Amino acid sequence: MRSFFDYIPGNSFLHRLNPLSRIFLSFMISIACFSSKSHLFLLLMILLNLVLAALAGILNRGMELLKNLSKFSVFIFVLQVLFVRRGEVLLEMPFNIIITEDGISTAIIIVLRLIGATMPLALMLSITQMNDLSNILVVKLKIPYKYAFAFTTALRFIPIFASEMSAIIEAQVSRGVQLDTKNIFKKTRLILPLCLPLLITSMKKIEGSAISAEIRGFYLRTGESCYRKYFINWNDVGVLLFAVILFISAVFSNNIKL
Amino acid sequence: MIRLQNVCFNYDRDRTLTDISFHINKGEFAAIIGANGAGKSTLCRLLNGLLKPSSGSVEINGLDTGHTKSSVLARQIGFLFQNPDRQICRNTVAEEILFGLELLYKDREFIAERLEKVLSMFGFSAEDNPFNLSRGERQRLALASLIAVEPEILILDEPTTGLDYKECIEIMEIVREMNKKGTTVIMVCHDMEVVLDYAERVLVLSGGKLIADGETRSVFCMNDVLEQASLIPPQMASLAGRLGSGFEDVFTVEEMTELILEKSNEKRRVEV
Ligand SMILES: Nc1ncnc2c1ncn2[C@@H]1O[C@H](COP(=O)(O)OP(=O)(O)O)[C@@H](O)[C@H]1O
Ligand SMILES: [Mg+2]
Repeated sequence: MRSFFDYIPGNSFLHRLNPLSRIFLSFMISIACFSSKSHLFLLLMILLNLVLAALAGILNRGMELLKNLSKFSVFIFVLQVLFVRRGEVLLEMPFNIIITEDGISTAIIIVLRLIGATMPLALMLSITQMNDLSNILVVKLKIPYKYAFAFTTALRFIPIFASEMSAIIEAQVSRGVQLDTKNIFKKTRLILPLCLPLLITSMKKIEGSAISAEIRGFYLRTGESCYRKYFINWNDVGVLLFAVILFISAVFSNNIKL
Repeated sequence: MIRLQNVCFNYDRDRTLTDISFHINKGEFAAIIGANGAGKSTLCRLLNGLLKPSSGSVEINGLDTGHTKSSVLARQIGFLFQNPDRQICRNTVAEEILFGLELLYKDREFIAERLEKVLSMFGFSAEDNPFNLSRGERQRLALASLIAVEPEILILDEPTTGLDYKECIEIMEIVREMNKKGTTVIMVCHDMEVVLDYAERVLVLSGGKLIADGETRSVFCMNDVLEQASLIPPQMASLAGRLGSGFEDVFTVEEMTELILEKSNEKRRVEV
């Protein structure tokens, strides 16, 4: 099973950027999404994400990500619409449930924000190798290697756990647990007892990983141990500027009424 | 019982299985063999509906797996995976066996009876913690909880990989016993000696295609097929093959011993 974090190799403009610029750009897109209250701006940001994905040659992954985030967003949208009770009432339903204009408007913003802010991070991880990521965290951002390693290892384990979970689900379905039901509530109730095998295999994997790092001299490693060097060139400067401009326009987008 | 008709399957773009057709009757003991990546596990998953064919059809007892959920097929098919830890999800041996039983049956007396039967058959003590058992024991427990529901078909995907010889034999003897009682068995196995000892029929997969399907011994004689599937026949069979005429039907150490003794006796008799 492939996950959204797996590295997709390539030689595009974005692949060749300094990892730090990529991290900066993706964080700035996320922050810009959180700073803006404009529907249009947020839509443009999502579009920008797709354009960047296309530039990196991973448009497929981008579309897939968008599809999955949209599914998830439906929940958030419904919750948000039901909980906001301010503004002009559009629809009144039994049990004192009301749907207001404000509710719909904020729900849309929250959903667009969620999509616009999650996509760049996932896309960045798709074109950045974990090694580069941890090296950058250590060398440039001066984060102690221990923590950088823990962080990137945790990320690396997500797809492993995901595929382990799907293997466990397969095994349980095969013995008659109705996890292949369409009913989400039933499925959730059935999945909970399966967390035991997942926990046990996870602990084993993590322990194995920690031991193998330890016996290879993990504790000897410092910031200077990094073998690869990362350079900043004009492309990076361009991208950094672009990221800053994005953020500024996010702030301004709040003042423009459409 | 099990009928595959022109089954094709692909995960992403490239074909994983191409145009597979075969028919397995009730009570047969068949082995699926082939190199890693040949598509054996994929084929097993198609058999119990975890995967649906991209084209063609898979029928189990007349049920089309395309329209039947795996959790429903579970009543008829027991599926043993290579890794028992994905299956075991309860804190005691008895609960683990009960878990499967309770999913498929409601009758309390019947469930209790089955539990007792399986516990004594496998010699487990009910209150043991599954995760303190050895790897081979856990595999046996996984098998026990499948057998408790007495499925008509057992599918085993590399049930003995990673087990030692004794553990392997323990598992296989139970499977053989079930087969003698009428259970249909389909097993993926990399150990050709085990295949030769237990399976009556062999299906050979190579690159997602079914390149041979026949009686175990006759398939082990097809050198071109074995070579194409990157399989090494049991050592005695290779030895017999090299010795040439007079040794054609020799596959096991016992048969080889018998034949050699016979031949040397004959020779002595001629000399006398
Ligand atoms: N979940 C999956 N997604 C995509 N490809 C897969 C998946 N599982 C297996 N494959 C591919 O299908 C082919 C057959 O795999 P598999 O059936 O597991 O082979 P075997 O069990 O014979 O070793 C392999 O090339 C493998 O890479
Ligand atoms: Mg396999």
